[in-house]
Amino acid sequence: MAEAPGSAKDMNSLEAIIRELGGAAARARAARYAVHALVAALAWVALVLVIARLTPFEQRALVAAIGIPVVLAIAALAWLIRRPSAAVLMRLADFQLGLKERLSTAWERRTESGPMDAVQRRDALQQAAGARLGTAFPVRVNRGEASLVAVLAIFSLALALLPNPMDQVLAQRQADRLSQERATRAVQNVQKKIADSTKPTPVDPQVQKILQDAAAKIRQADSPRKALESITPAEQKLQQLTDPGTPALNSSAQNLANALSSTAAGRSAAQAISSSPAKGAQSVRDLASQLQNLSPQDRDELAKALAKASQQAQNGQMRDSLSKASASLKSGDTSSAAQGLNDVASQLDSLQQQENTDQAVASAINGLEAARQELASQADRDAKGQGAQATAGASASPGASPGAGASASGSGSGNGNGNGTGNGNGTGTGTGTGTGTGTGSGTGNGGTGGTGGSGSGTGSGSAAQSTERVYVPGQPVPGQSQNDPTPLGPGQDVPLSPYTQVIQAYQQAALDATDQSLIPGSERDLVRQYFSQLGEQSAAGPK
Amino acid sequence: MIAEEPRVDAAKVTELAQSLESELARLIVGQKALVRDTVIALIAGGHVLLEGVPGLGKTVLVRSLGQVLSMSFSRIQFTPDLMPADIVGTNVIGDEAGRREFHYQAGPIFANLVLADEINRATPKTQSALLEAMQERTVTVGTQTRPLPSPFFVLATQNPIELEGTYPLPEAQLDRFFFKVLVPFPGERDLLEIARRTTGESTPQLRAVADAQTVLAAQRVAREVPIAEHVLLYAARLIGATHPDRTELDSVRRYVRWGASPRGLQTVVLAAKVRALLEGRYNVAFDDLSAVAQPALRHRIFLQFEAEADGVTADRLISEILEHTAKEPARA
Repeated sequence: MAEAPGSAKDMNSLEAIIRELGGAAARARAARYAVHALVAALAWVALVLVIARLTPFEQRALVAAIGIPVVLAIAALAWLIRRPSAAVLMRLADFQLGLKERLSTAWERRTESGPMDAVQRRDALQQAAGARLGTAFPVRVNRGEASLVAVLAIFSLALALLPNPMDQVLAQRQADRLSQERATRAVQNVQKKIADSTKPTPVDPQVQKILQDAAAKIRQADSPRKALESITPAEQKLQQLTDPGTPALNSSAQNLANALSSTAAGRSAAQAISSSPAKGAQSVRDLASQLQNLSPQDRDELAKALAKASQQAQNGQMRDSLSKASASLKSGDTSSAAQGLNDVASQLDSLQQQENTDQAVASAINGLEAARQELASQADRDAKGQGAQATAGASASPGASPGAGASASGSGSGNGNGNGTGNGNGTGTGTGTGTGTGTGSGTGNGGTGGTGGSGSGTGSGSAAQSTERVYVPGQPVPGQSQNDPTPLGPGQDVPLSPYTQVIQAYQQAALDATDQSLIPGSERDLVRQYFSQLGEQSAAGPK
Repeated sequence: MIAEEPRVDAAKVTELAQSLESELARLIVGQKALVRDTVIALIAGGHVLLEGVPGLGKTVLVRSLGQVLSMSFSRIQFTPDLMPADIVGTNVIGDEAGRREFHYQAGPIFANLVLADEINRATPKTQSALLEAMQERTVTVGTQTRPLPSPFFVLATQNPIELEGTYPLPEAQLDRFFFKVLVPFPGERDLLEIARRTTGESTPQLRAVADAQTVLAAQRVAREVPIAEHVLLYAARLIGATHPDRTELDSVRRYVRWGASPRGLQTVVLAAKVRALLEGRYNVAFDDLSAVAQPALRHRIFLQFEAEADGVTADRLISEILEHTAKEPARA
């Protein structure tokens, strides 16, 4: 019974030793784990920065920063989980302090009451009292590890401070994304505009679908160049929604208006037709209902005008209707003539519908064009960023570039079919003579399936100058066909042509496009004036 | 009060050992390891096989031990013609009260300390008689089994040279020796001291420092010394590492035919306990195990012929095992 107080005292002493050893071990391990964590964190940062130098890595700062607390948390967790048990602490203390397994034996047999256990415990406590327990677990940093920390820190700092060649790529990507976003927004604005239109057309859902697909492709494209590839197919799909017979019908309607304007009975109808096909249709129906009230002279005059309009009509149905109305009116069959005029009115209603459709399609194409402009500008900027070496390489071949001031004349031929409001592109080639080689491009004006349309193409050759820097994206580079289906690979420049080679073709195309009866003359003058100024600038010097 | 008693005993054991060692040192010059190992085996209750060339003091040691322990001492010189009865005794016809009867005449083995000098010179039959008595601590003659006196401590000697006409002890019988102690040739300084002490007018007279009861008490106390689990595990690993099919050491796999038996583990642990007491400690340490590993295991590891050809000894292999067997704190 006398043993109990002594044992309790021994136990308290052993637990006090455990606490002291535990504290010392925790401090020593904390220092060790902190250094481990530091090594891991710096290694992580260095790894991220190295990767960011090999490949574009936008979130590198964030990823590197996130890695640090993660590593520290893991180290803290490992420190917490891998705490040594009391038995291990005692064994390590025995080992470190040279206590010859006294403490570990005493701790292991702390609850035993064998003949020699009490003596052994007391011996262990006595020996432990003479030892500095804290020295069993010194706070010590491995020299090699400390050196590694220093090396990694310097390495990481150097990586962070030295210019990163991938920064330019990242900036370009950012600009590309913004550009694609703006282009997408332009397409979406058009979508909204068409949806809000007061003149809905049957093709509106199809137009919306095409625009939606185009917007999605633009947004998802890897680069503005790729995004540009999605615009032309969309435009072609939109073009297919237009009626190719609309120009002919429109022309016939104008001819009818011109013919009727010279008659007393049909003057108001002529004005209405000129104003809009829908109003014209109503006015023609009114005229049909009043045929019986017209004087014979007016009827005759009207029949002649209708016959003239019939002869000039390019649309078959309109021609037949006008012809029928004219013939009936001449023969005095007013009811049949009224029927013919009502048919004409129906044609005008149809024309109005087609014009509405064309307007929606044109609006959509305008939106796509705005997107194209945005993307082309960005692609151009990208190409400039990447093209410095290519330009230098081109100028390294003196034989290939004519001297400054040299001129070349080129001849080009353009192909294009179309009429009315159709848009088309033609290509032309020009060969320069003299000291330089010029390329010419021609732009045709035409729609698909146009009949009797006239395409015009002009070619012009201009001397390529070594200092020329102005390019128009979307044009094939020399040696590459515009219709070359081969997609551009990574690192390839967007197809570029010198500005001076395409300005005249563009001008001609623009003038052809404005050569429409529906476009007011003042607007055509504006276009001419614009290109004249451009022509003067290009002639004045290299851009 | 219960706890205090062993403390006194443990201290007494330490004192006993120190007294024995210091008293023997008066006559035995140098050979501290030999004396220490002999004392350990004595307190552990085991028998010792001393191996050394003639003239190194083996017999002197045993005789001196008999003097300092104040116990009965017998010496048996093993020769090829020695018979078992010469050791364990025999029944002889005697005349008692006019009747002729068989009387048992005890052999020299009935002593506390027995010196079996040049044990490998006797025939295996005779060797077996001694070794059986060593193990069982009893002698059976005819139909009667007689216990040997306690404590019973055999020190056998054998000469590693002059092997012609000898009968090397078989492995099973070697295993019955607690320790196999090699008696080294003394150093120059020790030789001088030997010359001085033994060629003078008088030789030192040893005094008895303990008796049989003291030794028996010490043997009981030694077994009470605690040993921690991880230290015991280390001892088991040491024994496992001597086996070619369990070790990770190439040398053991290559040179060892049989490793130490479980009796080897018992020996190592018990000897380590005694050593701890002799060191003034009340628990077994790794150092104790390492210190007793050589004498406890060298005769329990049986080598291949290849080892003999390459000059590899059991001691060298044990040193390698000690070096490569991991201790628990290192793992922690």
